[in-house]
Amino acid sequence: MANNMRILNKCIPWYPSSYLLPRISGVLQSREYSRPTSFPDYFQNPIFRKEDQAKLIESSELTKIAALPMKPPAVYETSSVYHDPLVNKLINHVMEMGKKQLARSLVEKSFENIKRAQIERYHLASTPEAKAKIELDPKKILHKAIENAKPLLQLQPIKRGGITYQVPGPITEKRSLFLAIKWLLEATYEKERTVHFPKQFAWELLDAANNTGKVIKRKQDLHRLCEANRAYAHYRWQ
Amino acid sequence: MRLNYTLLAGPSQKSARRPQREPVPFKQLLPLELKKTVSGKGDKLKEAACMQEMAVMFACFKKSEFDQSACLKEVAAFQGCFKDYSERMNAQREQGKKGILVPGEQKLTHRQLNQLLKAFPPKK
Repeated sequence: MANNMRILNKCIPWYPSSYLLPRISGVLQSREYSRPTSFPDYFQNPIFRKEDQAKLIESSELTKIAALPMKPPAVYETSSVYHDPLVNKLINHVMEMGKKQLARSLVEKSFENIKRAQIERYHLASTPEAKAKIELDPKKILHKAIENAKPLLQLQPIKRGGITYQVPGPITEKRSLFLAIKWLLEATYEKERTVHFPKQFAWELLDAANNTGKVIKRKQDLHRLCEANRAYAHYRWQ
Repeated sequence: MRLNYTLLAGPSQKSARRPQREPVPFKQLLPLELKKTVSGKGDKLKEAACMQEMAVMFACFKKSEFDQSACLKEVAAFQGCFKDYSERMNAQREQGKKGILVPGEQKLTHRQLNQLLKAFPPKK
């Protein structure tokens, strides 16, 4: 993109660049509304994945939705094969102060670190069976790490007779995903000042995918606490 | 004048010098009839969901020292149970919010009952 802009700047040398830049970015993203725009609530969320569209066509719900007004998809909502909703979610969790490009670069850098570590392991392995076992795709490792880090139970404080009991109970899918990502990031932030985020995050992901490490221990500790408090479980429904 | 005024006033409820005497005369403050709606307090479900599955899972966890991969079957049973439960609750909540009346239904939610009471108000 930066390259394109340089070429465009060369083509139209008589405009001051401060005037030109916003116009170009507007053209590149082809947005017809100003950025902070809210839509009325009858506007539907865009369905931008080909799989989702295929599902709609199969269940013949497309005709119902086709007439409804839709929000335009955001820039990160793409039908590219590289789009992964989980990676997108993770980037949003890593992001601070709305600096998405930085967050994305950090996550991509950690993917690169994972890839490097796994390829090194791959070349060190001697037998073809051992080589076949090594997972080289960082996205698959991320999925596995988050799947392993997800807690199955949660503790809820419930007040009975002036005493607050920590009552174990089932957890929703959404909250368990949130906790898994939060724990992975908290484990990553707990690092030496000299070690950078992408490196530590890559280690944490590899550990969690391997079912070891700080995050898995934290999950198991929660399960242990739930097991210890299982006598209070019936307080949940009183 | 002051004495006269005190004599005219009714018996004081608070004074210990003139306690309330049995039988206490009944005074009707509100009409003696039921409300035309029912409250939703009793509709809260008191079902202990997935307790059995949770207990089985805990037993398995204890046996395998909290290694989840050793209890895949129990974990799947627990999660499936909770998923069913939350789906059922969601469906019930949706139905209840709308207050849609399903003909031939035995157990009605308070919203459905209110709908019926509104359509057929109780006669005096």
